[in-house]
Amino acid sequence: MNVSLYLNHETWVHRLDGRTKTLVVLGFFGLALCFSHPTYLLGILALVVGGLVAAQAGMNVKKIWVLATLLVCYSMMLWPFFVEGETPVPIFHVLGVTWEGCVFGFGMGVRLLIMVLGGVWLLSTTTIEELAQASQELGMPARGGFAFSLAFRWVGILMGAGVGVIQAQRSRGLDISSGTIVERIRKYVPLVVPLIGHALRQTNLLAMALESKGFHPTAQRSFHRTGKMKRTDWVVMVVVGLLLGVSCWMRWHGIGTLDVRF
Amino acid sequence: MITQFACYDPRRWWADLVSVWQDTRLIVVTAQIAAIYAAILIPFKAGIPLIPGFVELRPANAIPIVASLLFGPAAAWGAGIGNIIGDCFGTLGPASVFGFLGNFLFGYLPYLMWGNLGWLSSGQPPVVQSWRQGFEYGLICVVASSVCAGIIGWGVELLGLLPFVVLAPAIFFNNIVMSLLLGPPLLMFLYPRVQRWHLRYEDIRSSFVAQGNLRLSEKPSFVGHELSPGIADARTHGSLLDCKHLSFYYPGQQNPALNNLSFSIGPGEMVMLLGRSGSGKSTFCYACNGLIPHMIAGELTGSLQVCGENTRVSPVWKRADRVGLVFQDFETQLVGTSMEAELLHPLEYRQPPLSFDDIKRRVSSALSSVGLEPCLDRDPMTMSGGQRQRLVIASVLVQEPQLLILDEPSSDLDPVTRMQLRQTLRQLRDAGMALLMSEQDHDDLQFADRVILLDEGRLVWEGSPDALRRDPHAMRNRGIRPLALTECFEELVCEPLPLTIDEAVACAEKMNLIISPPAAVLDDTIRLGEPASLWGSQMDPFVRIEDACFQYADRPILRNINCFIYPGEFLALLGANGSGKSTCARLLNGLLAPVEGRVLIDGLDTRTTSMNELVKRVGLVFQNPDHQIFADTVWEEVAFGARNLGCSQEEVAGRVHESLVAVGLPVEESAGLDPFSLRKGERQRVAVASILATRPAMLIFDEPTTGLDAEETDRMMAMIRDLNRKGHTIVMITHSMRLVAEHAQRCLLMKDGQIVADGPPREIFQDSALVQTASLEIPLLSQFSQRWGYTLLTVNEVKASLKPNVR
Repeated sequence: MNVSLYLNHETWVHRLDGRTKTLVVLGFFGLALCFSHPTYLLGILALVVGGLVAAQAGMNVKKIWVLATLLVCYSMMLWPFFVEGETPVPIFHVLGVTWEGCVFGFGMGVRLLIMVLGGVWLLSTTTIEELAQASQELGMPARGGFAFSLAFRWVGILMGAGVGVIQAQRSRGLDISSGTIVERIRKYVPLVVPLIGHALRQTNLLAMALESKGFHPTAQRSFHRTGKMKRTDWVVMVVVGLLLGVSCWMRWHGIGTLDVRF
Repeated sequence: MITQFACYDPRRWWADLVSVWQDTRLIVVTAQIAAIYAAILIPFKAGIPLIPGFVELRPANAIPIVASLLFGPAAAWGAGIGNIIGDCFGTLGPASVFGFLGNFLFGYLPYLMWGNLGWLSSGQPPVVQSWRQGFEYGLICVVASSVCAGIIGWGVELLGLLPFVVLAPAIFFNNIVMSLLLGPPLLMFLYPRVQRWHLRYEDIRSSFVAQGNLRLSEKPSFVGHELSPGIADARTHGSLLDCKHLSFYYPGQQNPALNNLSFSIGPGEMVMLLGRSGSGKSTFCYACNGLIPHMIAGELTGSLQVCGENTRVSPVWKRADRVGLVFQDFETQLVGTSMEAELLHPLEYRQPPLSFDDIKRRVSSALSSVGLEPCLDRDPMTMSGGQRQRLVIASVLVQEPQLLILDEPSSDLDPVTRMQLRQTLRQLRDAGMALLMSEQDHDDLQFADRVILLDEGRLVWEGSPDALRRDPHAMRNRGIRPLALTECFEELVCEPLPLTIDEAVACAEKMNLIISPPAAVLDDTIRLGEPASLWGSQMDPFVRIEDACFQYADRPILRNINCFIYPGEFLALLGANGSGKSTCARLLNGLLAPVEGRVLIDGLDTRTTSMNELVKRVGLVFQNPDHQIFADTVWEEVAFGARNLGCSQEEVAGRVHESLVAVGLPVEESAGLDPFSLRKGERQRVAVASILATRPAMLIFDEPTTGLDAEETDRMMAMIRDLNRKGHTIVMITHSMRLVAEHAQRCLLMKDGQIVADGPPREIFQDSALVQTASLEIPLLSQFSQRWGYTLLTVNEVKASLKPNVR
């Protein structure tokens, strides 16, 4: 079962170095955190959407749009109840809902959307191995990166095994959709136990297989992929860096932020 | 049994966190916990959203606490990484940092707290068997859940994404409910088993420390991968593998797994290690690249020199450039998410680093050796089983080892893929590589230069493959199935016994014999014990499949399937890997519904009938019994299906008894027998018994003999035949043509999602071209008898049909 969001396209975004893409996505997050006013955040959202278009990542956006919509709606609906303001909203004013709160909620919804889509942009254009390499090259511990990529690889296998487990237990009459909530939760035991058992029985074998292929925690790893920082990488990083610098300056001067009280 | 518990020393907290990254097994456990956590997050949604998109009631939330109490700091890292992986499916962002931190503590605090709560602690192992343990567990759940919820809630509010007062209570509720409801039963099941498998954090850490001490006390003969001149000399001129009086005992075992083995293997030689399950084949493979003694504990005596170096001297990972090992479960060896990552991974640990040109050459050469297209971006999970296995071999070959060891490489492969593997191995041998291949049947014997037969760890036979193949008595005595063609002439005075069809024909001609089958052969009395005319095709069909089509996403899997299955039939579903056999089986028990057409079981349409009704009629025994076994005892496991159908206690007891007897498992001991302690063949029987307890009229077996040796296969097939005789309709998925020839009354031949032939095996096997189009081959025995115009299926049929030529 393939679980990765990576899309194998030949775009200039895909050709960027893993480090560039990681730093750019951190830049997106930073930009989103600089502002709380929806207008400015919508501008950043347009930038991220442009990145997704350039990366031909529409298929992944389609996959997560329900989730993204839910996240944004929740943020938009909940914040107004916790933000004070001066202009009450008719009907809801008894609950303390104000226009300022609604605007802030909308802004936070857009911020959340920028972050989600930024993550999708990175994962659509970068393989897990490239991410692990980039994180190591950016100073993250190599073994952590390796465990991450190994785990990612195993998620697909376990999800495939999980489907097998569900089918095997359903074939013995297990119906997880019936009963009270407690009963339904209890019914997960026959599903979760074989899956964990299946994984743990492989622990020693997997460790032996890794060392048989030359892996050891103390062995130094040198990456051989061809990814090198090119001129486009530097241009992209400078552009995002400049944007971030300007945004920080604006934030410092209170431009693009809403003055709200909680 | 749960025997001992030593509580954790809080002063070690930092050292423990660091130690996880110093041992391969702990890194693997970390990755596994992360993968389990993420994998359960996705397909196991309970559909009970608390805050949709943010928090849903999911069984995964019990994993960090359960894993923490078993694997300590590895669980902390695993829970943190697993949460980030979960976020990689759509919600990766700055909040993931707080998600990591919250889950890290959720997975670490329980380990730190258990046994360290003063008078509140139970002083017992972390399982809920008494109220004191329950109290301690509950308290830990509350603290760990609160901390996790607090950190994530605070972080998410800090980012301005959602208010703390909304998110934190929801996360706390989710964590606490799942931990309290699911944690205790999971721990009850897992703790004793993890303890028995020596996988608790304390066990792994202590073995790691012991191994570290062992390594420190050794003086390595060389550094990195540079060889001393003496070793290089041995590599060039001596034998590549040389073992003398090699013995090995697993810890606590009285009988040796390897017993005084002495033999050698030279360059360019292909040696087959043959033997029944448990004969020591895999153990020897593990010894060859140093897994024994470096990663598998036990008592090793004698000497084993591989590539000129004693295997005790340097650790496994430093030998990877000289000795390559392909494991029986080859999927375990796949670590990358693309072909390129898979092939580069072993090379990235070489010291000094290889040049780019050298890497390119090695990758290209390894791929061409195994005949794979260089689609380097392709995800291994999208490849067929055979392709994945060749990729694993290629990932070993990039290291350019001198000795390649393959542990039962063809057990899961269909005949065509096996043939491709043989060709690959022959090419490697011809290129000068030494190969050691372990197998438990004779199918690949003729491709070896030499055979070594192991039994109970001893070398009991060594010589040329042909010499062994012409000695059916020796093979049978050691649990290896003899060649069917040779067996036919065993009782006749024919020297030497034939190995090929031409030899068998020559032998028959020399003895003036012809094939002239009696009526009892042609009406299947000899093969199946009763004439074919007694089968139930005159009755109403039990299963009707009418124009059934099925597809996953846009990919068609089954197209216009039409077939009837009659009560009491023994039907074989044949076809190459990926031909649609397993999907067809899942249509038959209602797990999948056809997208077009319909499937009627006992008159009930599977699209509109509940699973519980269908389960009473059709039972599906999956290929891997471990996908269903979860109970503490065999009795409980077998009772599971009957309980799900709402049977009373007395009824359940009666059904369990009846099912255990039917599969030949001990009834009395079943209440105290742990299913996980059984061998695969026995676990398969437990799986069959648990299906039988639902009393289905029809049983479907998905590859029931995969991974079993000749004796276990015979026992399994005898059981299935017995169930058939007792009235169960049997559908068996297999690519073993021998099993079909010996047991099936009728077979369906599938190719590319369609049924291309339907009829008795004798009729289908007459058309070898048709069988070959489905990537299968008819047995040699049938090909031999076809020289006289008959299609015979079993050794007994040929024996009964060999008559003197009176003309």
